[in-house]
Amino acid sequence: MNQSPRGTTADAPFSRLIEMLRPDLLRFALWLARDRAVAEDVVQETLIRAWKSREELKNPSAARPWLLTIVRREHARLYERKRLPTVDVDAVEALGDPALASDGDAGLHDLRGAIMQLPDEYREPLVMQVLGGFSTVEIAAELKLTQPTVLTRLFRARNKLRVIYGLTPAEDVE
Amino acid sequence: MSAGSPECAHARLQIGGDPHNLPPEIAAHVATCAACARFLQETLALDGRLRTALELPLSEFRQKSRAPPARRFALAASVALAVLLAGGFWVLKPQSALAHEVVVHVMEESGSWDQTQLLPAAEVAGILRTAGVEFDASLPVVYGYACPFRGHRVPHFVVQTANGPMTVMLLAHEHVSKRTVFSEAGLHGELLPAGSGSVAVLMRTGEVPEDLAGKIVSAARW
Repeated sequence: MNQSPRGTTADAPFSRLIEMLRPDLLRFALWLARDRAVAEDVVQETLIRAWKSREELKNPSAARPWLLTIVRREHARLYERKRLPTVDVDAVEALGDPALASDGDAGLHDLRGAIMQLPDEYREPLVMQVLGGFSTVEIAAELKLTQPTVLTRLFRARNKLRVIYGLTPAEDVE
Repeated sequence: MSAGSPECAHARLQIGGDPHNLPPEIAAHVATCAACARFLQETLALDGRLRTALELPLSEFRQKSRAPPARRFALAASVALAVLLAGGFWVLKPQSALAHEVVVHVMEESGSWDQTQLLPAAEVAGILRTAGVEFDASLPVVYGYACPFRGHRVPHFVVQTANGPMTVMLLAHEHVSKRTVFSEAGLHGELLPAGSGSVAVLMRTGEVPEDLAGKIVSAARW
């Protein structure tokens, strides 16, 4: 939130900013990785990279999307670098985590499970849009896709979740 | 649900892809097509639920993460016991569940208490605009965010007072029937009715002075 006169964040405010946003980063990483340990590793890598690049952050109000973008890239990089096996949707550790339950709200728990089981190509843009607040144009640029492709993936993601929510799915698009 | 026509199919692709940002031609179609209007309403409702689902209860997640499986039950039990002891009788009441969530949220942003630099008025206005809330307490704002909370964007401010920093959360979508005083995890707070919504105020240094709480309530409008 604090900004020096020249528009670059000073170290102490930057640290506080990171601390405040860390829960958001962890949550975002968990939905991408579907594995708590991997999510925490991704956030650690993100914070290191963000710290090294902190001079790039000219406007603290843009910190959240900036950091979330780093999380997404670090997540992708982690899989490239370590060649981690793709998470088996039938054995998603987080599905059994009590944190996914919500005050006995079975519908919410089911919805979280359904989101976890969405294929990566649908879950990633959905999480970026709904949780990250990214526009379809920004998602397209980040994922190196066309905007119509992103729209279609988001449509299909929601269409799958409509069923869990008790709604009739729309006819699929070509 | 049948799309009916190519126009409907195109509208549903747009609605399903980005329900909060419809192009003008799609909005115009929805205005004249009852089926697509219903589809939009359903999708917006689903999105509200989706946002809630994606907002994982991180305090629990963080405490449980990396705990060996054998410790998890004991940890869960100790957390539940601590909540019961700290919260007393009110943990069983719906309003108190709200108070607990407010405390958890504020604790997740613990750095907010230490801010001292005034937030620019334009930034405060932007936060209020994002949340669709009006607020003018004439108190210096040193921290502010439009935070995701219970499926909505909620203005979360820290203002400087003569009694120290005070956190204010403007909960336009949370109706409470009466004033509720709570104390948890070293934080003292109150939930106060404010029109159709409510306001949460919290301090670390002691109970929230009544005049300050009243000032905050009268400054919030939705």
